[in-house]
Amino acid sequence: MKWTRGSLWGVVLLFMLTLAGRAGGEPAQLSDESRMCLDCHAKPGIIKFFQNNESLIAYVDADKFQTSVHNALACSSCHPDFSSGKHPTREFKTKAHYRIRSSLVCRQCHTDEQIKKRAVHRGLLQEEKAGKPPVCTNCHGSHTVTRLSGESSFTNEEQYCSRCHSHSMTMHFKNSDTLSLKVDSLALKTSVHGKLSCSDCHFGFSSEEHPRRNFKTRRDFTLASSESCRRCHFDKYTKTLESIHYTVLSQGKLNAPVCTDCHGSHAIYRVGKERTASAKRCQRCHSKEYDTYALSVHGNALFNEHNQDVPVCVDCHTAHTIEDPLSINYRERIPEMCSNCHAKKEVVGKYGLSTDVQKTYLADFHGVSLGLYKMEKGKLDKPHKAIAVCTDCHGTHNIMNTRGTEASVVKSNLLKRCQKCHADANEHFPDAWLSHYEPSLKRAPLVFLAGLAYQIFIPIMLIGFVLQVLLHIWRYAVNR
Amino acid sequence: MKSTFRRFCTARIIEHWIQIVTFSALVITGLSQRFYSLEVSRWIILHAGGIDSVRLLHRYAGVFFSCAVLAHILTAVFGLVIKRWQPSMVITRNDFLNAVHNIRYYLGNERYPAPGSRYSYTQKFEYWGILTGGILMIITGAVLWKPLLITRFMTGEIIPAAKVLHSNEALVVFLIISVWHIYNAIFSPEVFPLNMSIFTGSLSRERMIHEHILELASIEGTTLEEIRAHENDDDAAGER
Repeated sequence: MKWTRGSLWGVVLLFMLTLAGRAGGEPAQLSDESRMCLDCHAKPGIIKFFQNNESLIAYVDADKFQTSVHNALACSSCHPDFSSGKHPTREFKTKAHYRIRSSLVCRQCHTDEQIKKRAVHRGLLQEEKAGKPPVCTNCHGSHTVTRLSGESSFTNEEQYCSRCHSHSMTMHFKNSDTLSLKVDSLALKTSVHGKLSCSDCHFGFSSEEHPRRNFKTRRDFTLASSESCRRCHFDKYTKTLESIHYTVLSQGKLNAPVCTDCHGSHAIYRVGKERTASAKRCQRCHSKEYDTYALSVHGNALFNEHNQDVPVCVDCHTAHTIEDPLSINYRERIPEMCSNCHAKKEVVGKYGLSTDVQKTYLADFHGVSLGLYKMEKGKLDKPHKAIAVCTDCHGTHNIMNTRGTEASVVKSNLLKRCQKCHADANEHFPDAWLSHYEPSLKRAPLVFLAGLAYQIFIPIMLIGFVLQVLLHIWRYAVNR
Repeated sequence: MKSTFRRFCTARIIEHWIQIVTFSALVITGLSQRFYSLEVSRWIILHAGGIDSVRLLHRYAGVFFSCAVLAHILTAVFGLVIKRWQPSMVITRNDFLNAVHNIRYYLGNERYPAPGSRYSYTQKFEYWGILTGGILMIITGAVLWKPLLITRFMTGEIIPAAKVLHSNEALVVFLIISVWHIYNAIFSPEVFPLNMSIFTGSLSRERMIHEHILELASIEGTTLEEIRAHENDDDAAGER
């Protein structure tokens, strides 16, 4: 037989078509046996019950099966007990038990040596040794088996990853910590990162690659994972480098929080105006401060009245540049922080609070000293002294309402605070501070009257001087 | 006839120098605290080594000032009681009349200014203004220095009241000196560029006639009218 050019092309074309049909999972001719089984199983309504009353729908989607990689196989290839002539009744305790048994069939063709090549399988095989048999169909499906890699059957990466990661999977660390690798895809989809691909954060992973990584502890894994965030959120990342959390972390205290500790990983939501959620993030580590705050005038308004005007943790401590609150720098900024609300009429006015509190503090001895100490900072080579700021009298997390409290209680509390710096202070001493009130006839009449007298006297005196001087010069000029 | 007259002894000249120094130190360190937000105050505070140093300097200057005031009062009491000095600084009814007289003179209703004795009414008012103001400053300054001690005996409201008095009286004293005293001693056309009598201790007869004519008359044993008549003759001779 002599090969013609036309017949050669025909063979090549046929070969390519066959390849395309295979690789793309194109519908293939089903075996007679398969067609026979599908006569019943392609119809809904066949249900298998297990001994624990769990059930499984024994329905097979004929179309999907036809496009699966196993479409050329006869049903009995995977269900060896069944054939066109045999349909035994089998009993299984539970659905899980059934699935484990079914998965053993897969391993008859897909040998351990073969599947080990993939890192994700190696982990599963190790788990099997530890007594936790893998269920192939959890990731690969059963009658709709498709290739997990190099296939176009996944429209996006997330779909690809979630084939496995929507199931319960556990990552084991060297120190026997474990971490669930199950990702709640609904939570991920509705999170702020819903439109991102998995590999945007899990770089190095893709439909092609699934490197095996070794971490000593679960914490090591978290620390390494949180590094991904800076690829997009570099501004926030650099801010955290100045924070006390980073300082503590770099000192080797690995429990210091990183991005994912506060923001979560897959279920990241915008806190927005919901301030309770923001406060709760800090609670996980700072529960004592949180509890104290919850009882304070601010916390009480937030949690009980759902008041969104009150400050939460981040309003004073900031979210990323969190500074050591015991540092002198932080202390110096406290009056500014409080003034963010207490000097704004639109914020505190509706609660009947005076906005003079900042002004009166800054005009008094402590406020003036604070302002000048701040100015001197960096310019004079001197250690900085701490001076009383808002929190020294009002407290920090435990700030209480000063109204409605008996004046004598407020005063005795104030005295105790004065005595922290002015050890010899007696009960008269706190009265030297006018408690943010502007002097008036009712409050501090002595101060008010003294001020008023000068307000009248100084202009009169000055006008008198100037008149005298002008008249004197005028007379001198006239006389000449 | 003497052409210059000795008005101040060396002790008074030294006292005035001490007052210049302590008063300047107090004004610089004090007003920079009162007007702390001004750029010039901040410059002063930084160059004095910080607000703590400024406060310390102010208190030291205050102590010197207090000593000087005390010494002045003791000297005055000693002089008046033991040495029988004339109470020439005491304000009398005449001083108020002189003030009215001078205003009339300025407005052209009097031929001569009010006749000055050893101290003119402006000098007396200024003196008492500074002295009482200074004493008030010393007392309130001490209260502000030792608030813990003061509140052992008095109500706490004394402290802010003392602060109001101290800072306002400081302004009063500063204005008396910077407007009134500096005008009279430097910028007044009669003495410009500087009235040197407190530095040299002496004053010319011409200025004595103009400013302290009654004192001159008592020194020379004549009367006001004779001096004025004589002076008018001289002027007329000069014009001829």
